[in-house]
Amino acid sequence: MTPQHDERRAERVIALSFLITAAAAVGLAVVYLSGGQPQLEGALLAVAFGGLAYGFVTWGQKLMPQGPVVEERHRLTSTEEESEELESDLERGGVISRRKLLVRSLAVAGGALGVAALFPIRSLGPKPGKALVSTPWRDGLRLITDDGKPVLAVDVPMDGLVTVFPEGFPGSADGQAVLVRVSPELLHPAPGREDWSPDGFIVYSKVCTHAGCPVGLYQADSHTLLCPCHQSAFDVLDRARPTFGPAAVALPQLPIRLDGDGYIRARGDFSDPVGPAFWSRS
Amino acid sequence: MLVLGPAVAAVALATILPVAHAQAAPPTTAEVTKTWLADCAVCHGRDGRGTFRAPSLEGRGAATVDYELTTGRMPLPATASSTAKVKRHKPAYDAATITALTDYVTTLTGGGPAIPSVDLTHADVAKGGEQFRLQCAACHAWAGDGGALLHREAPALHASTPVQVAEAVRVGPGVMPAFGQAALDDQQLADVVAYVRYLDKPKDRGGNSLWHLGPMPEGAVAWVLGIGFLLLVTAWIGEREPKA
Repeated sequence: MTPQHDERRAERVIALSFLITAAAAVGLAVVYLSGGQPQLEGALLAVAFGGLAYGFVTWGQKLMPQGPVVEERHRLTSTEEESEELESDLERGGVISRRKLLVRSLAVAGGALGVAALFPIRSLGPKPGKALVSTPWRDGLRLITDDGKPVLAVDVPMDGLVTVFPEGFPGSADGQAVLVRVSPELLHPAPGREDWSPDGFIVYSKVCTHAGCPVGLYQADSHTLLCPCHQSAFDVLDRARPTFGPAAVALPQLPIRLDGDGYIRARGDFSDPVGPAFWSRS
Repeated sequence: MLVLGPAVAAVALATILPVAHAQAAPPTTAEVTKTWLADCAVCHGRDGRGTFRAPSLEGRGAATVDYELTTGRMPLPATASSTAKVKRHKPAYDAATITALTDYVTTLTGGGPAIPSVDLTHADVAKGGEQFRLQCAACHAWAGDGGALLHREAPALHASTPVQVAEAVRVGPGVMPAFGQAALDDQQLADVVAYVRYLDKPKDRGGNSLWHLGPMPEGAVAWVLGIGFLLLVTAWIGEREPKA
């Protein structure tokens, strides 16, 4: 096999790599547009960048001049024949035009990747509106468990813990809350919240105010709610004030009342916006 | 060894013999009262209503007493300080004595949850898994191996019997909160217990479990494989065609 033959072959391989990149990028855009599938998107992105990388490395190895190069001292001016040869080369393409295939396929690959990268911009909208400052909790909604059963006060033992959701919204991400029962005489309700925790039943948002993890750990003997992600601790007895860890803001409290049938009902939405801080949070 | 051998054997026999003897005959009321006064009342008070050393047992129920005694967490060793961690041990008493002591304390202090009966024949392991991940995994970790809390730790669950798991869920021993019917009804509790049993020998669908050694060895394997692969790729990128 001649060197020219080898180079042709390498060129075709490189161009094919770039076209695979383009195809994967188009596939990525299509998958993203049609709802998205994280594993598939990841695989397509990997193929896209992998094709690009394989193409570049092969280009460097097979088509670029390989060293070591020793330049002998020679006459500094070109001969007449050399000048003419270069001019004729330039006119009929030659060395330079051979790379057109590669440059074009690279442009296709880069273009397709660039277009695929544009689509996620769409995901920045629409504006959240009031979604960040309100949850499904409304006055009169009963507290339910994840399987939809309303919580009866008598079914919550002393030092008990239940993860609760607003009635009609089981599994609600921003409405999830923890119901804790403590001895009423231990509670120090904040001013204005004196009747928010009847008979020692008290409800806080389960979404950590630091990074939004579920505050699911409860140390019953010290009345401390813990976040498993970064060990923020909140004092249940004192309006869920942060006592340790990176969280700086207390967990929002849900005002509740006990109804005549023994169920626990919300008296409105949380005291504050749930979850981590955001740009326009007051 | 020649001198120590008989002494060790004698101590071992002395430890085993009373238990073997007691298993044959349930303890009399007088014997139970004596055990209560000697081992429990020192801290919990003669009437079980607590002293400055230990909390009252009122309303704690048979489930609490049975849990603490069968897991060997109680009685604390005589040398334990008031801040000592309460850990699982071999039970200090045989089964008959534990039953008698549980009855004794329940009669003395009254109320509280009874020892839950756990029927695993109709338990749904998958549903139990969902509830475990929602309500238990935050502290006991997804594999039931236990985890760190603030100055405390949640124990691993593998040594517990089904009844002990159910008791702990219902009464919330020590640092653990109690989970009543609102959090888990009896069927869900059985499901969770079945899942905890499953966690002892889980089917590892995510690939090689690496003997459940934990995240450190898993991370080490990822590093060795990942960095090794990257080294090979780097070598390939830097490869030069031998010039003919």
